[in-house]
Amino acid sequence: MPRAALSAVACAALVLPFATGCVANTPAGSPAVGAGALKVDSSATACTLSAATAPSGTLTFSVTNSGSDMTEFYVLAADGLRVVAEVENLGPGLTRDLVMQAPPGAYVTQCKPGMVGEGIRSDFTVTDSGTPVGPTGHAAAQLAEAEESYAS
Amino acid sequence: MLANFLIGLREGLEAALVVGILVAYVVKTHRRDLLPAVWAGVGFAVAVSLAFGAALTFGPQGLSFEAQEAIGGSLSIAAVGLVTWMIFWMARTARFLKSNLQHGLDAAIEAGKRAVVMMALFAVGREGLETALFLWASAKATDTSTSPLLGATLGLAAAIGLGWLVYRGAVRLDLRVFFAWTGLFLVVVAAGVLSYGAHDLQEAGVLPGLHALAFDVSAAIAPTSWYGTLLKGVFNFSPATTWVQLAAWVAYLVPTATVFIRTTWGTPARAPRPAPVPAGVRA
Repeated sequence: MPRAALSAVACAALVLPFATGCVANTPAGSPAVGAGALKVDSSATACTLSAATAPSGTLTFSVTNSGSDMTEFYVLAADGLRVVAEVENLGPGLTRDLVMQAPPGAYVTQCKPGMVGEGIRSDFTVTDSGTPVGPTGHAAAQLAEAEESYAS
Repeated sequence: MLANFLIGLREGLEAALVVGILVAYVVKTHRRDLLPAVWAGVGFAVAVSLAFGAALTFGPQGLSFEAQEAIGGSLSIAAVGLVTWMIFWMARTARFLKSNLQHGLDAAIEAGKRAVVMMALFAVGREGLETALFLWASAKATDTSTSPLLGATLGLAAAIGLGWLVYRGAVRLDLRVFFAWTGLFLVVVAAGVLSYGAHDLQEAGVLPGLHALAFDVSAAIAPTSWYGTLLKGVFNFSPATTWVQLAAWVAYLVPTATVFIRTTWGTPARAPRPAPVPAGVRA
């Protein structure tokens, strides 16, 4: 089996109970590749995003901790309270990817160096790209197939 | 490096302590034949976590935040159930020891290989995926610096070392003392795991009240300090605890500890108590 298919099947098997959990690391062929991939630099005093807007769909925040303490990165809803997505355990020098399916809307991003307090926040906007949010194409077909064979 | 060391220590500590106690229990009850079952559970959890972590880090498929929280949350709840079962398994053994019913003791220990495998599996697997993702992230960082990977590995090694020390200490204890204290310790650990699971569910939006804090002592116990790490690693103590977390913790701890103490220390009141002194006499 090709490596890509193997990995997709492994992921689907792991998260079958949470059927929408698998997201492509590199959404190949999608026009949103560049815009959906964002870089975040979290230092002791700053939280710098490569862009303040992104088109709806699969977003990948590549979060790098350039500080000297542990940090966390959150994507919060517009109210600044509800957690939409987070990545934790970001030790100094590490880069971790936060992958999320983002519908259009207003969000707040937050870096939390030292893991306490309000963190460093800024507004983030997801524009409507027209593409439906969630697994599509090959992955969706595989998921449906896996679900069907799981049920029978 | 210190920060990465502390993350590794925190993620590995609880699992190392639970496995240390489980091994001590198996050795003390002369069931060394169950040891391969323990290591099989540990090995399976480690292998699966590392494999999935690697597939998700380097493969073309990632895991969404919701799925990761859901996996962590449901494994935590399963782990609470298994640790609770382990506590009362030990308590039952302690009661038979007290009454010197050897055949009862044998029956209690006869929980079988599968139960032991499951306990080791869930103790390690609960945070396994999260730890593996952290480890692989530090492995990926080695082209710029090796210190994150070194720190993370040393942290995990320190956690295993502490688990081994607990094992060494526990096997030396008198059997009854061992059951009583490790049991109480595990009750507090399990309460922490439940409270951690509750917080995961709050973050995922399943439970409300993520921002309704019962107390916030982050200023005194920084989560990045070594003592904050130990408290978090062993008891899942969170310096900023929500009301829901506190409620889950108390709701588990109080009844479980009560039942456990009654089972282990409680003596049936066979001897008649001395008659109470009539009120008038004392004055």
